[in-house]
Amino acid sequence: MTAVRYDDATRTYEGTDVAAVDRLNLDIGDGELLVLVGPSGSGKSTALRMLAGLEPLDGGSIHIGDRDVSNVRPRDRDIAMVFQNYALYPQLSVAENMGFALKQQKVPKEDRVKRVREAARILDLEPYLDRKPKHLSGGQRQRVAMGRAIVRRPAVYLMDEPLSNLDAKLRVQTRTEVVELQNRLGVTTVYVTHDQVEAMTMGDRVAVLRNGVLQQCDAPGTLYHEPVNLFVAGFIGSPAMNLVDAGEQRPLTLGDVELEPSGGLALPDGVITIGFRPEALTVGDGPLRAQIRTVEDLGSEVFVHVAIEHRGDSVPLVSKMSPPFDGAPGDNVGLKIVGTTHFFDGDGARIGSTPAALR
Amino acid sequence: MTTADATTRTVRPGISRRPLSDAWRRRLPLLPALVFTILLTQVPFVMSVYYSLTDWKIVPPSPREFVGLDNYLHHLFNDHFFTDAVWVSVRLTVFPVIGAIVLGTAFAMLLDRNFFGQGLVRTLLITPFLMMPVVVGLIWKNQMFHGLYGVLNWVIEKLGANPVEFVSRYPTVAIGIVLVWQWTPFMMLIMLAGLQSQPADVLEAAKVDGAKPFAIFRQLTLSHLRPYIELGILLGTIYLIQVYDQIAVMTGGGPGSTNVPYFVFQKSIGGGWEFGQASSYSIVVVVASIVIATIALRVLSGLLKGEEIA
Amino acid sequence: MSTASAVVVGESRWANRMWGALAWVLGLVFFFPVFWMVLNSFKEEQDANTAPKLFFHPTLDRYKDVTKSAGGLLSFGEAFTNSIVIVLVSVLIVLLLAIPAAYALAIRPVAKWRDVLFFFISTKFLPVVASILPVWILARNFNLLNTRLALIILYTGINLPLAVWMLRSFFQEIPKELIEAAEIDGASLRGQLTSIILPMAAPGIAATALLCLIFAWNEFFYAVQLNPVHGSTVPIWVTTNISTRGDFLAKLSAASVLACIPVVLAGWIAQKRMIRGLAMGAIK
Repeated sequence: MTAVRYDDATRTYEGTDVAAVDRLNLDIGDGELLVLVGPSGSGKSTALRMLAGLEPLDGGSIHIGDRDVSNVRPRDRDIAMVFQNYALYPQLSVAENMGFALKQQKVPKEDRVKRVREAARILDLEPYLDRKPKHLSGGQRQRVAMGRAIVRRPAVYLMDEPLSNLDAKLRVQTRTEVVELQNRLGVTTVYVTHDQVEAMTMGDRVAVLRNGVLQQCDAPGTLYHEPVNLFVAGFIGSPAMNLVDAGEQRPLTLGDVELEPSGGLALPDGVITIGFRPEALTVGDGPLRAQIRTVEDLGSEVFVHVAIEHRGDSVPLVSKMSPPFDGAPGDNVGLKIVGTTHFFDGDGARIGSTPAALR
Repeated sequence: MTTADATTRTVRPGISRRPLSDAWRRRLPLLPALVFTILLTQVPFVMSVYYSLTDWKIVPPSPREFVGLDNYLHHLFNDHFFTDAVWVSVRLTVFPVIGAIVLGTAFAMLLDRNFFGQGLVRTLLITPFLMMPVVVGLIWKNQMFHGLYGVLNWVIEKLGANPVEFVSRYPTVAIGIVLVWQWTPFMMLIMLAGLQSQPADVLEAAKVDGAKPFAIFRQLTLSHLRPYIELGILLGTIYLIQVYDQIAVMTGGGPGSTNVPYFVFQKSIGGGWEFGQASSYSIVVVVASIVIATIALRVLSGLLKGEEIA
Repeated sequence: MSTASAVVVGESRWANRMWGALAWVLGLVFFFPVFWMVLNSFKEEQDANTAPKLFFHPTLDRYKDVTKSAGGLLSFGEAFTNSIVIVLVSVLIVLLLAIPAAYALAIRPVAKWRDVLFFFISTKFLPVVASILPVWILARNFNLLNTRLALIILYTGINLPLAVWMLRSFFQEIPKELIEAAEIDGASLRGQLTSIILPMAAPGIAATALLCLIFAWNEFFYAVQLNPVHGSTVPIWVTTNISTRGDFLAKLSAASVLACIPVVLAGWIAQKRMIRGLAMGAIK
């Protein structure tokens, strides 16, 4: 059953020509955790706010369950939201913050207290129930914001970059907690982030947005291995995919080495961009000559930044190697592609991908 | 190697002079304003204290003699004109402050939305505060409240009732209305600042949590506005206690419209010429103001403390 | 900022328009006395001193009447000149005194800055009227009665506490790092002020100056007690337009319009700054 559906949903701000969200179409399943990801200005927050009713629609419609909620007030949509800056009620205690929505629904006090306690227990907030937000740390406030949402059992949870104000370590830890919580509660969740790592680790499916337009919506693995265009290929994955402009000439060359797609993949005319992930590139004694620029040793893996001479320019590439690695900046090395190589046409769309093709 | 103490400054070639101690460097910029204010406010105060301890009268002329606390003990509380003035002061401060805050808040809430010509409406609403108090007093007396041609009476007659001589029959109410009219914009601006300083996402969260607009106002906005309301009360009281202009031009004193400042004025250079006694009244007012100030300072320090926590 | 877009999801257009209309109605009603005053200023006296008339033959004669000089009486030109000089000079002095003081209370605070601030505010609790006698005596002894200097000094004193309070909170808004960077770069107090503080706090300074201007321009009590003969200001001039014989409402209205225009226009133009000023300056 579809829990949330965006149907050609569009929003254009007054005084601008370009749509902030341009005919977005998404079908979100019941209990799914769908992540909206993209750089700033991509429209992901706007899309979330349209679902919340905090932004009006200029075109299309939005459905929750089988109801068209496009013109329905936020309070009548049966949603709960976690805001980026938490938006806690400053004059109310933690318990009152979490119970606020229940109070508006006129839930009897006993019931309210019980449910607030329960949520506080899950989130480890019991010692802080009587405190006001200004006396809480950032992490605690974040949990209160989550608590305010989980105390209710709405049709949809909306989360607008809830982790982005936490420090890095806390963010990683909280990430897993949020996913576990969502699994346990089983409520459909729409989650917005600009961090693609967060998107990949959390989402059942991830929708990548750019300038208001949906690029691709798939499971993380599919996004990673089968990006639909250059933007998705470059956005997902860290460090980013190596993307090299191979021009119009055939056969394709990388540096001074020929590169041929295997498996009978036919390349159209026009400009071709070649892409391969850092883990697909090895540094050692391959056919492609390069020079090491820097070596980043993270302990569990080593990122080697090299440069090749390609079509008259010095092009930087990144390779992921397992330790130990004993190259040093300045060394001349040979590169080899051992993984999948992607080919993109002149409009950025992916033509196809083949295993190792560097000869 | 000299261990110069704070008062000596040895200048050695090539080495910069030892600067004034940090504390004094910090104090220096403050001094001109501070000294100016002290001179301008404390000197007259001390003089007033001295005069209040004498029986200085101009009419009939008599030598000024020191009488100690005579003015305070014998005249002050027997003078029912003074106690009347105190009551008038209370009524002309408390009610206009409350009225202006309530009305100002209402206007601020109306202005806090987006509608056609919102800026223009705001311009209209702030105008009374910009106008000269004497002008306001004169205009209301002669144009709005006038017994024969006044606009208010024109409306009253159209509604079938008899015209009212507002200023002569209800001086306190008339002046009170004028004060509310003039100070509402001030309160409105303060409340508007308060409303606009509410974080937008907190209000959005309340909407998503199911709160209706009135519930949002009652449960969230009002408590957010509290420091602003307190500030309005503080500043409003400070200024309204001292109202003189409107009283002078509307009624020239008289029962029901003479507040304490006007009374002191009447007693001294306004015709009473009893400088000794008038000074004693002034001092009483000062003492009372200090009492009120101490209470208000607690409010202030609450405001200032809030700024350190936030 | 609290209001987002003009369209609120779920609120009917009708409701939105209704609130807007209500605001307009209240605004117009509230403004009415001012509107009527301006209207009256263009009337003949007989049109003004009867039951309210909306339609009449407009004339500029009242303005001519009030601005022509009648020998011996305070003239429009003299009053306006006095007011302008007194107000501008006193506001200038207020800023010259208050800006360093605010610096000392906000940016590199002195030890007891809270007490100093309280002291400044507390001086406003002493009613102006209570001090008139000593002030009058001092003014006479220093030969300052009926001079502009007397009012300049007094208005500076009246506005200084407000200015110090407001400027202090504006200065507090300036990020400390900017000042520290300037210190490290060797800037003196004056250097810091001119290159960093004043530019950043300029809107706040403008708002403060505007408020001081309003209070100084409109001040009546000190002016009428100390300067009844020379150095008289606009508020005094307005009151000379009342007469015990004959009708005067139209003339009074014309005089009132002239008296209020400078400040009202300044307030209208600088509205937004004044609001920001009152908001930040007063609240923090």
